[in-house]
Amino acid sequence: MENRYAKQELFSPIGREGQNLLQTKHILIMGAGALGSANAEMLVRAGIGKVTIIDRDIVESSNLHRQQLYTEKEAEKHTPKAIAAKERLQQINQDTKIDAFVLDADAANLEKLIRNVNLIIDGTDNFDIRFILNDLSQKHQIPWIFGASAGSFGMTYTFIPGKTPCLHCLFPSIPGIGMSCDSSGIIGPAIQMTASYQTTEAMKWLTENEEALRTSLLFFDIWHGQQQTIGMNKGKNKECLSCGNNRAYPYLNQSETAHIDVLCGRDTVQIRPSSKKKYDFSHIAKHLQSHGNVKSNNYVLTCLYRDYRIAVFHDGRVLIHGTKKKDEAKSIYHEFFAETNLNLVTKE
Amino acid sequence: MIKVLFFARLQEELGKDNMELDTAGWTIDELKNWLEAEYNLDGVTQTMTAVNEEFTDGSHILASGDTVAFIPPVSGG
Ligand SMILES: [Zn+2]
Repeated sequence: MENRYAKQELFSPIGREGQNLLQTKHILIMGAGALGSANAEMLVRAGIGKVTIIDRDIVESSNLHRQQLYTEKEAEKHTPKAIAAKERLQQINQDTKIDAFVLDADAANLEKLIRNVNLIIDGTDNFDIRFILNDLSQKHQIPWIFGASAGSFGMTYTFIPGKTPCLHCLFPSIPGIGMSCDSSGIIGPAIQMTASYQTTEAMKWLTENEEALRTSLLFFDIWHGQQQTIGMNKGKNKECLSCGNNRAYPYLNQSETAHIDVLCGRDTVQIRPSSKKKYDFSHIAKHLQSHGNVKSNNYVLTCLYRDYRIAVFHDGRVLIHGTKKKDEAKSIYHEFFAETNLNLVTKE
Repeated sequence: MIKVLFFARLQEELGKDNMELDTAGWTIDELKNWLEAEYNLDGVTQTMTAVNEEFTDGSHILASGDTVAFIPPVSGG
């Protein structure tokens, strides 16, 4: 009987040797949404040794048209994506070691998780976290593969510390108006195409085919069949604060503040309190159940309240589903989680 | 002449994907500011720019025969 990777080994740039290398490598996939799912599945099928996968979100039915690791069952149960991803990936390949984290990533907690990682894959949906990934990549000399998709468009680039420009060279500050799934919608094939380019680059790096890496940034429109490459010979900025001569890694030193984000592609606002909490769900359930139907699993507690669904995590993060408006979400949050109330439901 | 290519959101806002402009000698930043004012092209100043398919910053001076591409950053995923 042929071994499960026989056809991949037959592909000569990889070969038996490349396959053996791949099986010793460790990647970190930041985000288990659409791009994260697609990259994770391809690389786990390919036989990668270890995957660390991080996501802060839960599975929703509006994810299912493009997030390939998830099913209706998980959308109904509000399973955290990282947990659902691990379960599915382990069914696909039990030999890959998979560490899953339900976590709102920031510079501090990510820095702990990138030790011994050979490569970072971008499965995120915003530039704030990408600028943190970029600084970590430079500081720890770990390449990362940028991927982004919206509408029928995709964009990808392979950042190699010491060799290519970095994200901060290409954008002097965080782009304020990137095309997102909220503004442009998203179709599955644009995701699959972007992820395929990312995974291909990952395979090259992990099988030590460095000379084969694409050196240009790629932009495409899969609906109109257009493609544009941008060469990066003049991309490097010597004064860059992330990769230049006087580097300061500015995105690793942000102060702790409460954050309110509108999540990509759906009617959801996330609120992250200024300090980490340790919520006891039984206390919170008692507090919320007079307002609406409360359900919980090990990871998340949900409450149906008016036209909203409120999802609460142990660390104090709250998702308000049913609105895209930050102010609206904030007022609901404060109804239940004003700092005075928080003390009542917080178990130290 | 300079050929200017527009991608993604810019295409939709303009209703076309390219223009021929007589802007040799201008910098990229000057061209972007002019486009923003002339066509009410929201956020063109934040787009990535390639000249003849090479990444270029705002100070680059355009020469006749150049092809400029404006590509808006994509953030979703
Ligand atoms: Zn840089």
